[in-house]
Amino acid sequence: MLSTLIWLPMLGAAFIGLWPRLLNLSQTHWVARAIAGLTFLWTVVLIFQFDFQIGGFQFQEHLPWIEPLGLDYQLGVDGLSLPLVALNSLLIWLVLLSTDEQVPRPRLFYSMVLLLSAAIAGAFLAQNLLLFFLFYELELIPLYLLIGIWGGVNRGYAATKFLIYQAISGIILLAGFLGWAWLSGSTTFNYEVGAQVLPLGAQLVLLITLVIGFGIKMPLVPFHTWLPDAYVEASAPVSMLLGGIVSKLGTYGLLRFGLGLFPDAWEVIAPWLSILAVATALYGSLVAIVQTDIKKMIAFSSVAHMSYVLLASAAANPLSLLGAVCQMVAHGLIVALLFHLVGLVETKTGSRDLTVLKGLLNPKRGLPLVGGLMIVGTMASAGIPGLVGFIGEFLTFQGSYTTFPVQTLLCLATTALTSVYFVLLINRALFGRLEGELAYLPKVCRFEQIPAIVLTILIVCLGVQPSWLVHWSQSTTEAMVAAMAHQPAVETALNSQALVTPPA
Amino acid sequence: MTTTATKAKLPPSNHEFAPVIHRLEAGGAMLPDTPENLMQIIGIYKAYAVPMDFYWRDLLYIAEQVFLNPFPLFKYFLPQDSLERHNHYAGDDADLRVWRGEATAHPELLEFIDKGELKTKLPKLVHHLLHDRVNMEFAEACMRAMLWHRGMGGQFDPYLDTDEYKANADRAIRAYFQGNPPMLGLYKLFPEMFIEQVRQLSYYSNLGLFWEVMAPVFFEMSDRYDEGDITSVPEAMNFLVNGIFAVAGRPIYHHVHIRGEVYEIIPKSKGFMWLYEAALPYVEAVFYRTAPFRGTKSYNAQAKQVPEDQKDFHYGILYADVMPVGTAGIPPTLLMQDMLHFLPPYLVDYYRQHCRGEDDMLIQLGVSFQRSMYVVTSAVIQALRTALLYPLDDPNPKHLQANRTFFEAQLDRFKRPEARLGDIQSSDYR
Repeated sequence: MLSTLIWLPMLGAAFIGLWPRLLNLSQTHWVARAIAGLTFLWTVVLIFQFDFQIGGFQFQEHLPWIEPLGLDYQLGVDGLSLPLVALNSLLIWLVLLSTDEQVPRPRLFYSMVLLLSAAIAGAFLAQNLLLFFLFYELELIPLYLLIGIWGGVNRGYAATKFLIYQAISGIILLAGFLGWAWLSGSTTFNYEVGAQVLPLGAQLVLLITLVIGFGIKMPLVPFHTWLPDAYVEASAPVSMLLGGIVSKLGTYGLLRFGLGLFPDAWEVIAPWLSILAVATALYGSLVAIVQTDIKKMIAFSSVAHMSYVLLASAAANPLSLLGAVCQMVAHGLIVALLFHLVGLVETKTGSRDLTVLKGLLNPKRGLPLVGGLMIVGTMASAGIPGLVGFIGEFLTFQGSYTTFPVQTLLCLATTALTSVYFVLLINRALFGRLEGELAYLPKVCRFEQIPAIVLTILIVCLGVQPSWLVHWSQSTTEAMVAAMAHQPAVETALNSQALVTPPA
Repeated sequence: MTTTATKAKLPPSNHEFAPVIHRLEAGGAMLPDTPENLMQIIGIYKAYAVPMDFYWRDLLYIAEQVFLNPFPLFKYFLPQDSLERHNHYAGDDADLRVWRGEATAHPELLEFIDKGELKTKLPKLVHHLLHDRVNMEFAEACMRAMLWHRGMGGQFDPYLDTDEYKANADRAIRAYFQGNPPMLGLYKLFPEMFIEQVRQLSYYSNLGLFWEVMAPVFFEMSDRYDEGDITSVPEAMNFLVNGIFAVAGRPIYHHVHIRGEVYEIIPKSKGFMWLYEAALPYVEAVFYRTAPFRGTKSYNAQAKQVPEDQKDFHYGILYADVMPVGTAGIPPTLLMQDMLHFLPPYLVDYYRQHCRGEDDMLIQLGVSFQRSMYVVTSAVIQALRTALLYPLDDPNPKHLQANRTFFEAQLDRFKRPEARLGDIQSSDYR
């Protein structure tokens, strides 16, 4: 069942990429959309089959592969990975829906997007560390090409920088995984085998290795310098995927492997991780304020908001972990929406420069729908109640406050900074008078609107009815906390059960 | 010939809008003479004339019959009498037949009143509540602009402050509220409030009488364009100039009909003339001045973003930003919406081919309206020049210089950055 999520897009990528003469361009476009759509539908089926009361892995698949290396084809999904798998399928489908048929080298583009979908799904589903690593590295190939071929003016530089950083991230992670296997004496890389036998010192070394590796992917300050280049130079659909789902591999890895494999060490370094989260949030927010390029602003905003996941992970109590998962999903939806909208603005106006753009909310000649949804997206990002961003941030801060009150308050302050830079964005780009060339913008087509509308509906619906989101992960996050050697004293100031249980 | 003579005797103008000055001196309009411009302005005149046929009828209905009704809930529901009221410049019994069509309400207007934008016959009240109707609010906004600015020259406006006017108004007020002690008591307590309301109603009448002339003028221009008789922008402008002079002496008055009797608040015998008491104040108040449009931009009066003197206001259609059309609370939006219902097919086809086609037709027709109003303003400027100064082919260079000084003074008003005179010189401004 889970293999379909990997092999359907992978075979689709091979079909489109390797047999180009079978389909004309238009057919290629629709076949790619259909494959992504089927993958998404399969994910929906999976969600309906998933038992939310079970905290452990479900739909497990196991196929021995290279046993001497400890590498098995072993898949499973739980409440931590299911939302991210769903997010991946959704964003890939939306990206292909919004891709113009006139995209250069369409077959390669579609096959790379589908390959990326397969690699990310594989990473989220892998239950074997080496298998995870393989998929983690595999996604670099399509991403490098997607940035390098379809990116902006400095795409070559951005793609190479991205590749170098991510390759280093991969090497560091591989070292950490090998160290875990060797030191624990495990004959397999199946991470369900506990590592509690490791002494604290070894755990600390291995955990720091993983934090650095996944910190590059998230990214955390000071490992973030690849991000502005990659996010800005990538085309809008690729930015949606980078910010929406690829960055989640970092936070997912921290939660799954950092917290899951090294709970004792995690407790030791948790205060430092929370401080790192504060530094990242402050840095990302302050740098975002001074940006005049909308995409850069959203990129740095993304850095800040991802740090909330780290804060919640560091607190490691049931509510904070639930908040971390919700924040990952919320951020994925919001940042994908914002990047999509920025892409539309750039396509229609030829600019992302806040010193140039203005009046885009004009009802007849501007981009009123884009502008309106951008306001919704920025409100969601700023944590306005009723939108999904509020749910992620509220659970995160509520859960983290009991463990790290000062750090939580500082991160909370950065949400105010979010309002500052997004109000600047809205005020400059959306209000004022349309003048010159901006008065003659082409209109936004239906297929360009669909992804934005779908994402907005999800942002609003999950914001109004958060139980639809939190009950996916509640059992798993509680199980993760229970699995730690000690039960946390901070059982939360909030009755999480009451929060996530829908009213009768 | 005129052009050659003028150029031979005067050096080129150094004005910012020198090409426009030279065009005016050659007998042209401020709008460049192109077939595309001609098609736009004539099409818009036709689209404007149909709702204008409603505006003038309703303005006079309110001024003469609704009068001081404290709850004028049905003032936009024209009675059959008003729809059948004969325009004095159309039909067989016209004082001066400007339009060859019928004197009663235009057939397209009647059909729209009947079925509205929905193209479905529903009770009038339903159409009204769905806002599927002619936007009389636009006409009232124009009237209020004239009332609010006041003092723009002529005899009509000062007359509203005379004792004679107040006495006439007093008679009408007492007659209207006869047998209504509460309202009469209120009038005794606040007489000026009632007089001011009557002043406003006098402006209803003023504007209604002005538009009663303009509607047939625009209809006739449209028909002549369709028949191939008007082939250039200057010809269109000259038709307007001739029309202005033909009806210049039309009396402006305010009569009120109360229980079968006519009360002359402003009698025809006062001799107020259409050109000086209605046309010129209208152009000044509505084309040039009006007031900042509500709902689109905040103005900081303390920072002098709004002129201190009303005469310096510059929010009329000649300066208007048509881009926010479609947002709430802007009088031009209402007019654009009205004109949208009556566009000739050739103009609809034209708009479909440009910008966003039907999606931004309101903006496109707003720009066309701006072009057409620059032609009307050109006609007024040429008419004033004819009345006050010298012929364009005058052999005396001093006279030509006086004409130029006049034209330059008129165009100085368009030096403001908000003015669209520069924009309409290009066909790319849509």
